[in-house]
Amino acid sequence: MSWFIKYRPKSLSEVENQDQVKEELKRWIDSWLKGKPTNKAVLLYGRPGSGKTTLAYAIARDNNFEILETNASDTRNLGNIRRIVEVGMQQSSLFGKSKLILLDEVDGINRKSDEGAIQGILDIISETKYPIIMTANDPWDPKLKELRESAKLIEVPKLGKIAMRKILKKICEKEKIKCHDDAINIIVDIADGDARFAINSLESVATTYSEVAVNLVEGILRRKEAQYDPFETLRKTFWAKYGWQAKDAVTNSEVDYELLMRWFDENIPIQYEDTKSMTLAFESLSRASIFLSRAKKGNWDQLSYLFDMMGPGVSMADRTKALPTWKAKWKTFKFPSYIQMLARSKQIRREKQEYVEEIAKASHCSYDKALSEIYPFIEVIDKKKK
Amino acid sequence: MAEALWAEKYRPRTLSEIVNQKDIVNRLMKFVEEKNMPHLLFAGSPGTGKTTAALALVRDLYGDNYEQFFLELNASDERGIDVIRNKVKEFARISVQGDVKFKVILLDEADNMTSDAQQALRRIMEVYTSATRFILACNYLSKIIEPIQSRTALFRFYPLKKEDVITRLKYIAEEEGVSYDEKGLDTIYEVVSGDMRRAINLLQASSSYGKVTQESVFKVLGMTKPKEVQDMVKSALKGDFAKARESLRVLLVNEGLSGEDIIKQMHRIIFSNDMDMPEELRVIIADYLGEAEFRLTEGADDEIQLSAILARIVLLGEKYIGNK
Repeated sequence: MSWFIKYRPKSLSEVENQDQVKEELKRWIDSWLKGKPTNKAVLLYGRPGSGKTTLAYAIARDNNFEILETNASDTRNLGNIRRIVEVGMQQSSLFGKSKLILLDEVDGINRKSDEGAIQGILDIISETKYPIIMTANDPWDPKLKELRESAKLIEVPKLGKIAMRKILKKICEKEKIKCHDDAINIIVDIADGDARFAINSLESVATTYSEVAVNLVEGILRRKEAQYDPFETLRKTFWAKYGWQAKDAVTNSEVDYELLMRWFDENIPIQYEDTKSMTLAFESLSRASIFLSRAKKGNWDQLSYLFDMMGPGVSMADRTKALPTWKAKWKTFKFPSYIQMLARSKQIRREKQEYVEEIAKASHCSYDKALSEIYPFIEVIDKKKK
Repeated sequence: MAEALWAEKYRPRTLSEIVNQKDIVNRLMKFVEEKNMPHLLFAGSPGTGKTTAALALVRDLYGDNYEQFFLELNASDERGIDVIRNKVKEFARISVQGDVKFKVILLDEADNMTSDAQQALRRIMEVYTSATRFILACNYLSKIIEPIQSRTALFRFYPLKKEDVITRLKYIAEEEGVSYDEKGLDTIYEVVSGDMRRAINLLQASSSYGKVTQESVFKVLGMTKPKEVQDMVKSALKGDFAKARESLRVLLVNEGLSGEDIIKQMHRIIFSNDMDMPEELRVIIADYLGEAEFRLTEGADDEIQLSAILARIVLLGEKYIGNK
């Protein structure tokens, strides 16, 4: 059993720090126990390893609740979520134990492949007889809007260094491992509030060397991969001297690859003033878009080529990079405006679409034909009428 | 809507109202007489009367309540083969009470179906043949697979003759109280080349400017021409990528055109006299357009594909026209 699970606090009282969160959770559960829940669901949010899932397990244990859990690794469509919850609810009468529903990592829901999942959760929230805890890293993700509005939001702040040090030292004692304070400090620094990462790191050093010393820690722990914001991703890609740097930039971006393509689409003409580089960069991006479409059709291996085209492909399109005189050019990047454009004109486009559909139906022809061959004439007539 | 569109308002209702395509009409009338028909394949360029003939045929067969015996599927409908199978099953399930023992399905723009879909369709045509007859309409006969061609009775629709088009336009103009001169109608015929629907649309649009004359016809044509696409290509050729891309986004977002529509229009434009560029360049751009269109069919993003094309045109413009 991994140490992270083995030493997971069994009760809220064992959880280091997080006093405010504990207090809020207790009050919420109490309201359930009194039969008058203030909220049916809470959404615990915070960075990875801050203790969201641990808190949910701890409070369930403290109240002798059984946990019904789904997380991102389950296929999470409407049917599945409902089934898990419904089966759980039926069983409850057999054991006489009350339950807590844990929907872990709700931001891992994929809007396309888990179609209906959000609605399914909303239904469960409105019908539930048991408290529901959801967890997410990023609660501001637009797809979580409805979940956000239907739950009480509780932030789980990242663990402080003192608390983290305490946790690691306690584990060392229990495992009877010789741990040097400086080595623990390095792990604490690198983990930056992520308890899962810290405990996993401690375990991997300890089980490899049966000792936790500075040189061993430094040798085995690579710095945790950074996540670049979109501006940083663009800058790192455009400024990369080598292909791997550009690949690193796009693969470690906090922006997902589909949205990242829009960022490049917007900013290639800004970064590349000479037409040849711009054209080559767009050619690469257009190749990337093909690999994306193949990946989405199920050939997920193709995704890796998307990153090659979007990162190194776009980066090396700069014809001057090979020259010794090359210098990175500082540019002010722009937000992808195409997405905003699409959002703003949604209403107008829908109206036009409905109009053309009507024409197509009346004219016994397809939508495309109505749009390209009949609509232009009607537009002339309508304009004149006005 | 149908009343507002003259092309619909004056669409012949019965076979006898169809003035041209005499041979076709006579053969179709035989089917009505015998209350029986094979599967039919209508081939011909747009606006030659394929849909009109199909609609008139079913109306003559079933009378005014033809709609319960008739199903129309065109390229906007989901035409995956399962969909067709289910729809056909559903439609054919209830048998017909009356003299005519079958129902009719019109598959319009059948040449847009993949050959796999056509293969499957052929099976469906065989299995359901007693309950349902198909009319397939297409622009290009060569895109219809051989096995379907051999199982259907072929009807070729030819572009309408000048006198047929002009007579019809005059009839409509008089019914609608629209004044016109001969030159105006001649001009309409010249630009539509035998496409009756386009001719009537053009007549209707031109009449909104008063008298239908050569001038008003050209005016409408100018307005319906894809000017935005032309402007976009011109901006790119002049080296103004930002402006070209702005046009592109207007076309995609505000005009609601698909990437493939835009590429097709660009393709038409680059070989027209409206665009001034070296002949060699037209060929090179066409090559890139073909590649981009293929990429779109593979599912690539249209805004990115077209941005890439525009960047390429900027580059080619520099090389061949030298604007920089």
